[in-house]
Amino acid sequence: MSSHAPAPPGAEGSCADCHCSDHTPPRRGFLYKFFAGALSVVAGVIPGAAGLAFFMDPLLRKPKTGGGGSGGVVKDAEGYIKMSIPLDALPNDGAPQKFAVFDDIINAWNKQPNQPIGSVWLRKINNQVIAFNVTCPHLGCAVEHRSAQGDFYCPCHTSAFALDGKKLNQIPPRDMDSLDVKVSGNDIWIKFQNFRGATSEKVVS
Amino acid sequence: MIHQLLEWLDHRTGVKDLLHEALFERIPGGARWRYVWGSALVFTFSLQMITGIFLLTAYSGSTQTAWESVYYIQEQMTLGWLVRGIHHFAAQAMTVLLAFHLIQIIVDGAYKAPREVNFWLGLILMQIVLGLGLTGYLLPWDQKGYYATQVSTKIMSATPLVGPALQIIAQGGNEYGHATISRFLAMHVVILPALLVAFLGLHIYVFRRHGIHAKTPYKAADASFWPDQVLKDAVAALGVLAVVMGFAYFKGAELNPPADPADAFEAARPEWYFLFLFRFLKFEAVEHLGLAFGAIHFPGFLFAVLAAAPIIARYKWGHKFNVAFLWLVIGGASLLTVMAIVEDGRNDDHQMALKEAERDSHRVRELAQSDTMIPVEGAVSLLRKDAFTQGPKLFAKHCASCHRYDGHNGRGRLLRINDPEDPRSKTDPTNANRIAAHPEATDLADFGSRTWMKSILLDYSNHLGALKNAQWFKDDLQAKTDGKDVAFVNPTDSEMASAVNDEYAKLFSKPENAEDLNAVIEFLVAQRNRSEADKIDAKLVARGKEILDGGKLKDGATITQCSNCHDKIGGKFEVADSGNGYPDLAGYGSKEWLTAFLKNPGGEQFYGKKNRMPAYGDKLRPDELDLLVRWMTGDFYPTHVEEYASRKGELPKAK
Repeated sequence: MSSHAPAPPGAEGSCADCHCSDHTPPRRGFLYKFFAGALSVVAGVIPGAAGLAFFMDPLLRKPKTGGGGSGGVVKDAEGYIKMSIPLDALPNDGAPQKFAVFDDIINAWNKQPNQPIGSVWLRKINNQVIAFNVTCPHLGCAVEHRSAQGDFYCPCHTSAFALDGKKLNQIPPRDMDSLDVKVSGNDIWIKFQNFRGATSEKVVS
Repeated sequence: MIHQLLEWLDHRTGVKDLLHEALFERIPGGARWRYVWGSALVFTFSLQMITGIFLLTAYSGSTQTAWESVYYIQEQMTLGWLVRGIHHFAAQAMTVLLAFHLIQIIVDGAYKAPREVNFWLGLILMQIVLGLGLTGYLLPWDQKGYYATQVSTKIMSATPLVGPALQIIAQGGNEYGHATISRFLAMHVVILPALLVAFLGLHIYVFRRHGIHAKTPYKAADASFWPDQVLKDAVAALGVLAVVMGFAYFKGAELNPPADPADAFEAARPEWYFLFLFRFLKFEAVEHLGLAFGAIHFPGFLFAVLAAAPIIARYKWGHKFNVAFLWLVIGGASLLTVMAIVEDGRNDDHQMALKEAERDSHRVRELAQSDTMIPVEGAVSLLRKDAFTQGPKLFAKHCASCHRYDGHNGRGRLLRINDPEDPRSKTDPTNANRIAAHPEATDLADFGSRTWMKSILLDYSNHLGALKNAQWFKDDLQAKTDGKDVAFVNPTDSEMASAVNDEYAKLFSKPENAEDLNAVIEFLVAQRNRSEADKIDAKLVARGKEILDGGKLKDGATITQCSNCHDKIGGKFEVADSGNGYPDLAGYGSKEWLTAFLKNPGGEQFYGKKNRMPAYGDKLRPDELDLLVRWMTGDFYPTHVEEYASRKGELPKAK
């Protein structure tokens, strides 16, 4: 059919039978250009915007607290987790003891029941318990207890804290992060939280 | 200021010339709708790039996380359904657009000299797009993608000489696994798109070299690409986007149940644009010639003829041949596609397999959204451990050769027999395989419920009527007639049959005894320990107990005591060796009762010597027995999944 075409448009070279001298476009109205441009933009923006909203999903998602209740974790309505260590097992002299805290881990679609989620230093003083998150408020290493010096000490950047959590040098930006504790009978309940590092204020992360 | 900046940019980069080159392509005879297909394809491809990159930010490729991450994208993430929906349906739109583009090129003769090379480049692009569709199909790791792709890789293995090696390389091993997902992902998101971009670049470059092949006669004055054709292209692009988004919104990208290598997917079909090949391979003659012929050699031959089109066109009638050939192939493929769809539509088993997939898919999401969420071993374990999902499958496999569940085999399907003697087969021989078999034991859909108890108390002979269809029944009846001493359950001639027909049915059908009938039923239903679900009325239960213990009915009569035969009535069920061959009515229909019964129905606390049902203690694994029992006694995570439709109406009338 195209062999009968009056002017084979695909001839070699660019403009053999062209009646416009160069590639000047034929004049078209502004509306024509406007719609051609606008529609193209719309066609591109819709999927792009949907994709961006999708990408921003983590910002729109409320942080989920571990469910608890399954797999043996005992957790109350306020988020306090019952420790497996009973009160009377802590030494009476207030020496710090380190324990792992267990909770269900929610990881996007997965839930892993009863996993270690962090560790705490516990001290019993007059049958009351004080608790510190072992994470150093400086840059997040685990703080150790030095019984010889009688302090807490971070091996990474030599932050040091007194046994009541007060900082002993200028390396950490704040005192050790204490955690809320409830004692009922022989049970110890801890509200385990992690805090942002390297800030003078204690902000839940 | 802006002007100066643009001048500077142009001087350094030559952007003006580039834009000019890109936008002011001359279109002899003016812009036309028939030229939009190429641009629409480019647009759809960019759509796939955009949505694909975003999906890749959330997809997690392994056998324990692929389905799970897609579920998370689809059900949990902001606009995930839309992004995935666009990607899913735009992939299908691309195959449709490819067909339109090809038709336009062939019909308008745009493939002929000097555009042969570009035509071939286009065919390569077509293969790449189909490859993208095929690799993308597996990535959600659902039953459909898994089993459809198994077929593709099997076809690959039928390639002469290199086939088996090719299959192992593509799969990343002898079996499907993590490596298969990683390889398909690499193909789908890097290798094939890179090839596509490269060949698309060449395609457009060569296209520009020869200019558009304008359709004659010209309908208007020459125009340029911008803005004339761009406007039409943009309208087409928006049209494609609207259709794709419409599908994403109204239909939604499907996500079948998670892939389970141990549970063959009976509803497996390729994506609709490969259905023609699927149907073609099903022809007996094609099957006879082998997979390599049907899936490789013959389609390869058709493709070779298509690729030869520019050469064929040099001869007289060549172009006409090419056009005719294309329409023939498209017509044939369409016909095969329609055949496949119509046949599947008429195939009850396939429809039920689809229904089952839909139910499992619904169910697994329900479980994934429950408080336990998805365990790390993957969503497939949710279904494997779910009584609601596995119970019907176990029932179909182990129970449905005699029993039915609401008329079907537990999975919504009829149990069929090939009975050439049946009068329906004589009128239509194709019916021979479609005749529902007679059930040979009781329908268990109502097991332990009020309906069940009522049917036993008032209509015992019919309740057990199906037993009469069984061969053992006929044999035992004959033996009895011959004077032998055989014990078996006889629906019409037994102590229970007499008690019901001569007494219970009459007494309990009196209007004044209606409440007492309910009381007896309530007492019996309470045995299965599902007080909450059954909404048991404790007062009625007490009254029922009173009647069974010899209390007077409202009309003053008393009933023949159940305890004349049944050893234990009421109380907790306990496994025992003792009994007198009548089923215990303590804990009747409870989990414990049913478990013990299935393990040993011929035990003296059940049917004793009268029993003809096989014992399932050895036939089922303990976990299977548990799943079956929990399904039959309603002990599973609550569900909104629709029940299979009743098929009682399709069963043959009792002989």
